[in-house]
Amino acid sequence: MFFNSFSFALFLPIVFLLYWFVFNKNKSTQNAVLIIASYYFYSCWDWRFLFLLVFSTFLDYYTGIRIEKAKTETGRKIWFWLSISINLGFLGVFKYYNFFASSFSEMLNGVGLQTSPLLLDVVLPVGISFYTFHGLSYVIDIYLKRIKAEYNFVDYSLFVSYFPLLVAGPIERATHLLPQVKVKRSFDFEKAKEGIYQFIWGLVKKVVIADTCATYANAIFDNYESMNSLSLLLGAVYFAFQIYGDFSGYSDMALGMSKLFGIDLLRNFNYPYFSRDIAEFWRRWHISLSSWFRDYLYIPLGGSSGGMTMKVRNTFIIFLVSGFWHGANWTFIAWGFINALYFLPLLLLNKNRSNMETVSLYWDFASFKVFFSIISTFALTCLAWIFFRAKSIEVAVDYIGRIVTNRNFASQYLENERYNYEILLLVFAFVITEWNSRTQIEPISGKYSMVKLALCLFAIIALGTYSDYKEFIYFQF
Amino acid sequence: MKKFLIFTIRILLLTVLLLIILDFIYTSIYSHSSKRSKVEQVYTSKNKDYDVIILGSSRANNHFVTPLFEQKGLKAFNYGMSGGHLFEASLLLKLMVERNYKIKTVLLEADLNLSNEERAEGVSARFLPYIHQSKTIRDHFSKENDFRALYYIPFYRYIVFDTRIGFREAYKTAIAATTNSLDHLGYYPLGNKKGNMKNNIANLKPLHNKYYEEIKQICKTNRINLIVVTTPMCSTVLGMDYFEKVIKMYPEIHNYEGVVQGDTYFSSCGHLNDAGAKKFTSIIISDFFTK
Repeated sequence: MFFNSFSFALFLPIVFLLYWFVFNKNKSTQNAVLIIASYYFYSCWDWRFLFLLVFSTFLDYYTGIRIEKAKTETGRKIWFWLSISINLGFLGVFKYYNFFASSFSEMLNGVGLQTSPLLLDVVLPVGISFYTFHGLSYVIDIYLKRIKAEYNFVDYSLFVSYFPLLVAGPIERATHLLPQVKVKRSFDFEKAKEGIYQFIWGLVKKVVIADTCATYANAIFDNYESMNSLSLLLGAVYFAFQIYGDFSGYSDMALGMSKLFGIDLLRNFNYPYFSRDIAEFWRRWHISLSSWFRDYLYIPLGGSSGGMTMKVRNTFIIFLVSGFWHGANWTFIAWGFINALYFLPLLLLNKNRSNMETVSLYWDFASFKVFFSIISTFALTCLAWIFFRAKSIEVAVDYIGRIVTNRNFASQYLENERYNYEILLLVFAFVITEWNSRTQIEPISGKYSMVKLALCLFAIIALGTYSDYKEFIYFQF
Repeated sequence: MKKFLIFTIRILLLTVLLLIILDFIYTSIYSHSSKRSKVEQVYTSKNKDYDVIILGSSRANNHFVTPLFEQKGLKAFNYGMSGGHLFEASLLLKLMVERNYKIKTVLLEADLNLSNEERAEGVSARFLPYIHQSKTIRDHFSKENDFRALYYIPFYRYIVFDTRIGFREAYKTAIAATTNSLDHLGYYPLGNKKGNMKNNIANLKPLHNKYYEEIKQICKTNRINLIVVTTPMCSTVLGMDYFEKVIKMYPEIHNYEGVVQGDTYFSSCGHLNDAGAKKFTSIIISDFFTK
């Protein structure tokens, strides 16, 4: 059941009505409705994985309490590492086992030892990377005595399984979400209205931008050997907007619908393609994951406290792990590595904390420099996305090589029966809209909101891509 | 909460209003166009005289060189539609009859397309703009599972078939951009071999196809001479006994599967190139239209 499906269009109003009109007595009944709805929502993909979700929830709930109640440091450590091991074990088996087994086998074959890896025939449970990280942050925070353990199982379950964030985040923190589910929510019209606007804008990003760009990006990437330089360049740009529209659109829908239930989720995107350097990009892209790695990996590794060498090492570690988090493929690791390389000069020059304020442009030379830095950051990002999208590192390198060597910048007719340039106007209109609303959550609210709402609805109805349906990219992670 | 419910209802009403307005605009655009597809050409025309009408799938569209019929003094048009099934061929013929076309002969390609009775989504979508205006189209779609949604929900058909009749196509239609589908009297020539010269049709089974039966019935009722043929396949096809099954099931179908030999005449295993199509059409004209 996807957020942009017909079944979800029935599911959401039913849950909303039950939540506010039938089970609105206290926070327990409100939470009960949400947890039942969340489990139903998750079981719509594959009911068997519901057991995994419930087990994972119970594991962290129980070990959290045991860590808090442990009388000795050894006891605390045992429960802590038990939780970490099982959580990462599940993730390892379902997501990474086949990758490690086949990579190891290939390595042995490379040195002349013929082996065939024993691979598991399992489907990756949807959302496992996200809810595992919820649980991990909770247990780590208890271990580090940042928070108290949660003793109410329903409340804790809702923190892990809350359906708007269950399958593709944002990756919530117990310190942010748990206090909200511990109190009865009252209906707030302004918040709900804002939620509707954000949900609709998320839908625009998904069906109008991401899915339309996807048809072009796929036609180019899947046939890259017959594409000219212009098509290959546009393919990278289209994929950049596909993945941004897809993931930030999903996040907007999640945040928007959550507001309908009176719950605020962490912001996940903050107009990343207007970043002036790669450090700013990573403060604006998939914020909940970046901050998770910062708090639970970078800082525990020593962060930036141990001198430049330590800083560089830790930066590379979090980028590589971040790449690997996205999927069991060398392309994701390469993508992480490239981003670490981009980050390196900023780190060495101690410029990774510049560009903190909202970007502005005027008709002066300084703005020209800012504009150039935005474009160059976007170009670097697109280059890295090629590795993210390509089937293998060899393909990505070949793709980039052809951009340089082909040197044909003519229009080209693609396999999706469209010319390579046809959606540039749409992409440009989207960029302008985002630019004008970069200081707010979404572009609909404010003056003339009904007109802007009508335009968004028009875009969804008339400009959306529906017959060539695309799943959310981040569901596979 | 009351304010929110009113707000939600306003959004829903706005959405419905947009759906109705867009439906009206798109339908109006398609109703005034006759240059972009064979379906709209037939839909917007009346009282045409033809000696030969060609119907079928891409294996008609790419195989019957209509100008060769014209050279023989026969007024002809190739209404074969790439990707089309007999569902669409039958409907197109119904529309022609409804529009008082005077047709002496229908030349129908019926071979691989006999194996299914489903509509071809991409091709059948071309009829959908007119579903409210044409009883013939409405009736033809009425047995389809999604008929109610297609018919009753405004703009639904333009959303689900957006790649065929969505915004881009409506825009191109509105600015009267032409396509090549009506060039060469409907015949679309293919280039030299570029596809895979292998094909496996072993799993195909010819059906007692209701749309083929419909075409036969329409021709009989309207005294149209019906010639049904199979068309060539390349030599490396697995499951060629399919054509024997077709002939056994429908003895009136003329088997021309093997009349053009050699991969040099093919663009892909199921499609002749221009040279192959000319050779094939010459044989057909010689066999059926030289008296």
